[in-house]
Amino acid sequence: MNKLLCSLLFLVWMPFVQAANIYAGKMQAQAVCSQCHGIRNPSADAPFPPLAGRDRAYLEQSLKQYRDKTRVSEIMNAFAGSLSAKDIDNITAYYARLKP
Amino acid sequence: MNKNKKTHFLTTILSIALIGHVEAASDNMHQLYQDNCASCHGSDHGGYLAPALDKETLKGRSPTALRTLIMTGSFETLMPPFYGKLSDDQIRAMVKHLQSTPKLPNPAWTIDDMKASLQVYVKDESTLPEQPQYAIDDMDDLIGVAARGKYGRGSGSKAVFINSKTHQVVGEIPTGTAAHIIDFNPANPRWAYVKTDTAEIFKVDLYSMKAVRSIKTGFNGPGMGVSRDGKYIMAGSFVPHNAVILDADTLEPLKTFELEGIDPDGNFVSSDSGMIIGTPYADIFAIALENAGQVWIVDLKDGFPVTKIKNVGRHLHDAFLTHKGRKLMVASYDDSIVAAIDLAERKLIKKLPAGCVPHVGGGAAVKVDGRVLGFGTNFGTCDKTVVSVWDLDTMEVIKQIPVSGGTESPAAHANAPYVAVDIISKDRRARTIQLIDKKTLEVVKTLDVGGHAYFPEYSADGKFLYVSAGYSGDEVVVYDAFSLKKVTSIPMESPAGIFSHGRVKYMTRGLSPDEME
Repeated sequence: MNKLLCSLLFLVWMPFVQAANIYAGKMQAQAVCSQCHGIRNPSADAPFPPLAGRDRAYLEQSLKQYRDKTRVSEIMNAFAGSLSAKDIDNITAYYARLKP
Repeated sequence: MNKNKKTHFLTTILSIALIGHVEAASDNMHQLYQDNCASCHGSDHGGYLAPALDKETLKGRSPTALRTLIMTGSFETLMPPFYGKLSDDQIRAMVKHLQSTPKLPNPAWTIDDMKASLQVYVKDESTLPEQPQYAIDDMDDLIGVAARGKYGRGSGSKAVFINSKTHQVVGEIPTGTAAHIIDFNPANPRWAYVKTDTAEIFKVDLYSMKAVRSIKTGFNGPGMGVSRDGKYIMAGSFVPHNAVILDADTLEPLKTFELEGIDPDGNFVSSDSGMIIGTPYADIFAIALENAGQVWIVDLKDGFPVTKIKNVGRHLHDAFLTHKGRKLMVASYDDSIVAAIDLAERKLIKKLPAGCVPHVGGGAAVKVDGRVLGFGTNFGTCDKTVVSVWDLDTMEVIKQIPVSGGTESPAAHANAPYVAVDIISKDRRARTIQLIDKKTLEVVKTLDVGGHAYFPEYSADGKFLYVSAGYSGDEVVVYDAFSLKKVTSIPMESPAGIFSHGRVKYMTRGLSPDEME
């Protein structure tokens, strides 16, 4: 039963993982997001939340809310506003997999 | 209508209140600038690592664009985001302040100011341990990294010391503002000196990994050198235009020098301090006067007399030593040459072509097939991006090796097959360093390090290549010097210059310690 569940979960998970391009996410994260959030950690002196190792679904939901402006932040609305669904997929895949 | 009038009235009242508030605040703006901007942009607003920010340079710039730049930072530069760190009101007021403030006059920083700034953290140095308090075979295995910290100040700003055989961090010295230069005492392996962006010098005990003293030698400027006997330090500033000789033991200032003279075009100018270097060749310091285009040689004897070598070049910057420290190769930005100086004869030997806007960093020299070759990096602000190779015996250009962009620091080691140069052109190339084969003098490999990869440095045994993935890269990456495979990475905030303790043995990177005997 457990095995079956695992396999099923794996099958559901697989296409999700394959769809994202981690390398593309990495390039975007390093060029843009890391400016404030850092790669593994933001600066000890900076007021930005860390992203490495965060739940992927949460990151994706947040970026989409920032993009739609249902969650309001002057800066994040501007950055997320130009992201495609594919970009969000790539960036969140990269940060979620990264060890903090 | 009535409502509109009311609103108008209210707005006026509010505006008056607000203007009053902003003006009162503008007194504080100077302090806010000093605390957040000055270490990179200059305490006089005249620029340093980053551009000048004053009434003139910001004329006609959109306040909204400037505000955005301060909020988000500037990508592919060291400019960090101040959103959330400064309030919206502070950022708006800062833009106004910058666009209305002229470049300030060069502030004074006299020998008395320096004396008053001396801090003693360990009163009795005899209480310090006799041996390193961590595992290390040889002190030369230490590598020091100048970690800038994201904001050029704060808890991320420190000198980080690593055992380059195990790649473990063995000590960290918080420096308050960005660490910039690390020098080691050639006579006693336990002492290191760290200079910050705001010109404080820390004397560091490497055995206990503690700062024992510090002194503020000016407002900024990277120049610092240690004499061959380890008794003196000389430091020079951009702001103000002076240099000082310190007692290396107590950090007490002994003599200051006003940096001024006649430049190659015949104008009398006050000058920034460029590189300062001690040499194993003699009891002297050499200092480059950036704007005056002169190199001064200071004898380390009574009164510290100065010999001036004039007409060296237009806008001198950094340098490296060769021929057992008898010859000095000085980079000159504006005429794109490297000037060779004989420190024994105290005269210019020759001016060598050096690409576009040469920046030699710590320099590199290697012995190949009986010849001693010097490698010259340069910002490459022209179409031709090359690394120059000179025969340092005949002082001739051997080759100009095409590389993928501007470069600012070469690394070499007697035992390592490649000379590493950091590509700094502001695009994807900034993530990379290129490796030049010592024998064929061709680029054989490009490494994608990440961040803004710069300041490569070999471990003292030549087995590992350390590179800062700076800016937002936030790690030092270590490669195997032969296979060029990534070995590990060491996280830290905005790492920049990397300095091997081995430098005290081989003088210039790439030379063998045997050649020094």
